[in-house]
Amino acid sequence: MAEAIVVEGLVKRYGDRDVVDGLDLVVQEGEVLAFLGRNGAGKTTTTEILEGYRTRDAGRVEVLGQDPAEAGSDWRARLGIVLQESQPLGALTVRETLRLYAAYFPHPRPVDEVIGLVGLADQAGQRAGRLSGGQKRRLDVGIALIGRPELVFLDEPTTGFDPDARRQFWDVIQGLRELGTTVFLTTHYMDEAQVLADRVAVLRDGRVAALGTPAELQAMRGGVEIRFELPPGVAAADLPGLSAAPDLAGGAVRVETGAPTRDLAVLCSWAEGRGIELANLTVERPTLEDVFLAIAGDHGEAQA
Amino acid sequence: MRMLVEQVRADLIAFARRPETLFFTVFLPVIFLVLFEAIFGDIEVSAGSDYALTQSTLQVPAFMAMGIVSACFVSLAITMVNRRETGLFKRVRGTPAPAWLLIAGQGVTSLLIGTTMVVVMLLVGRIAYGVEVSVDRVPWLVASVLIGAAVFSCLGMALASITPSSEAGPPLANLLVLPLYFVSGVFVPVASLPDWLSSAASVFPIAPFVKIITWPYDPAAPDVPWTSVLLLLAWGVLGLIVAARFFRWLPRRG
Repeated sequence: MAEAIVVEGLVKRYGDRDVVDGLDLVVQEGEVLAFLGRNGAGKTTTTEILEGYRTRDAGRVEVLGQDPAEAGSDWRARLGIVLQESQPLGALTVRETLRLYAAYFPHPRPVDEVIGLVGLADQAGQRAGRLSGGQKRRLDVGIALIGRPELVFLDEPTTGFDPDARRQFWDVIQGLRELGTTVFLTTHYMDEAQVLADRVAVLRDGRVAALGTPAELQAMRGGVEIRFELPPGVAAADLPGLSAAPDLAGGAVRVETGAPTRDLAVLCSWAEGRGIELANLTVERPTLEDVFLAIAGDHGEAQA
Repeated sequence: MRMLVEQVRADLIAFARRPETLFFTVFLPVIFLVLFEAIFGDIEVSAGSDYALTQSTLQVPAFMAMGIVSACFVSLAITMVNRRETGLFKRVRGTPAPAWLLIAGQGVTSLLIGTTMVVVMLLVGRIAYGVEVSVDRVPWLVASVLIGAAVFSCLGMALASITPSSEAGPPLANLLVLPLYFVSGVFVPVASLPDWLSSAASVFPIAPFVKIITWPYDPAAPDVPWTSVLLLLAWGVLGLIVAARFFRWLPRRG
């Protein structure tokens, strides 16, 4: 498989602050990569360097085999870009907008095909200015798809969506994957990354702090958590021996274990033998959100 | 070429669907012409004017000039700033579309709108007020319209380049043109202005434009007012320099 994006040692400075500070990343063709990070971690700056909007101060960048800083319109014809904020011409209808953008590309997709891909068939004749937020964003994606891109950049595409709109949007992205398009998805939402991404890159202080499939990232956070309430009249010392020492906070017991099946069996037969019902017994894997919070570090605003 | 046609088509549709721009840019100069003809049309001769014409005749080319300025300067500048600040230009710069397309598209669109208004006023003047342009000077009328459209488009691009935000667009553009309409022979005949005011105004681009577009209407006027043509072109060059120096595709933030 060829590489759609290669970044080595990317640096971008604003004043004396390194917004991007030695970032390395490889995205394979056909892959959906979620690019996560707190505000100020350098997400949009990195994305805009890859898109050719911004220059860089150091490092090597190759997008579809070319340096974005020097690539021309042939290269841009192979990209689809959805910016974080942009307004299409509100007075044009969905179909008119797509028709205009189709004229910019050498081999555009038929307008009606794109309208179908982004699920705007019912709004095709409606003015862009009168679409809902979610529909506008889907039109944005439609604009990005009109030129048959090999690689699509989506910068926080679902910010401000209601749950229905997000799910519809996810279907559109799944459709892109089926077309074999490489997707570089910047997002704040862990569930979005979990559903859509083949791999997730977590950005911290201008560098990739963690990279892997959602499952791999979850595994990084150690084991499974078993929680229950300490039964009345039982001291912590009375609990059976588990693979890890239990954590007590008030009456709540928390055990982080790498061997959940065995520990549960021990715990349950111990309780069963004493006729105790363990209140609020739960077994949970850490969510991607937990992992993100652990990796992404302190809130970005604090250091900005 | 197909790209330019699609761009102009889209720009024209977008223009025509915004009632406020349509009113201020297109209808207002025509309404003014009709109103001014009704109010001042009876004044016989404008003594002291550059041209020996009745007020009724003078007003037709004067409002043609306003139409061109309105379409190519005011409306163009406001539109360019809006599109830049809403990220539309940024977005198009991410496609293979060449940079000149957006500029050419807006330029051609403004030229078409301005020309349409000139034709409307030519017909209104001819039919309603019997104001005629001599046939052998029609080419000069066409040339005046083209020169004016080109110069004011350059100035519009320059204004757009130095306008910081969408909100600043309309007030800034109108602040520049409204006083000039008064002192450059559009709203008030130049002859009725104090000398110092008319000579001060003659330096700015609207007065020479009014002068050259009025010339074809006076069969007795001897030479083409070349000084005015050169002055107007100089303004165009200045506009081009400012636009080239300060032009931005990206909105102010990011």
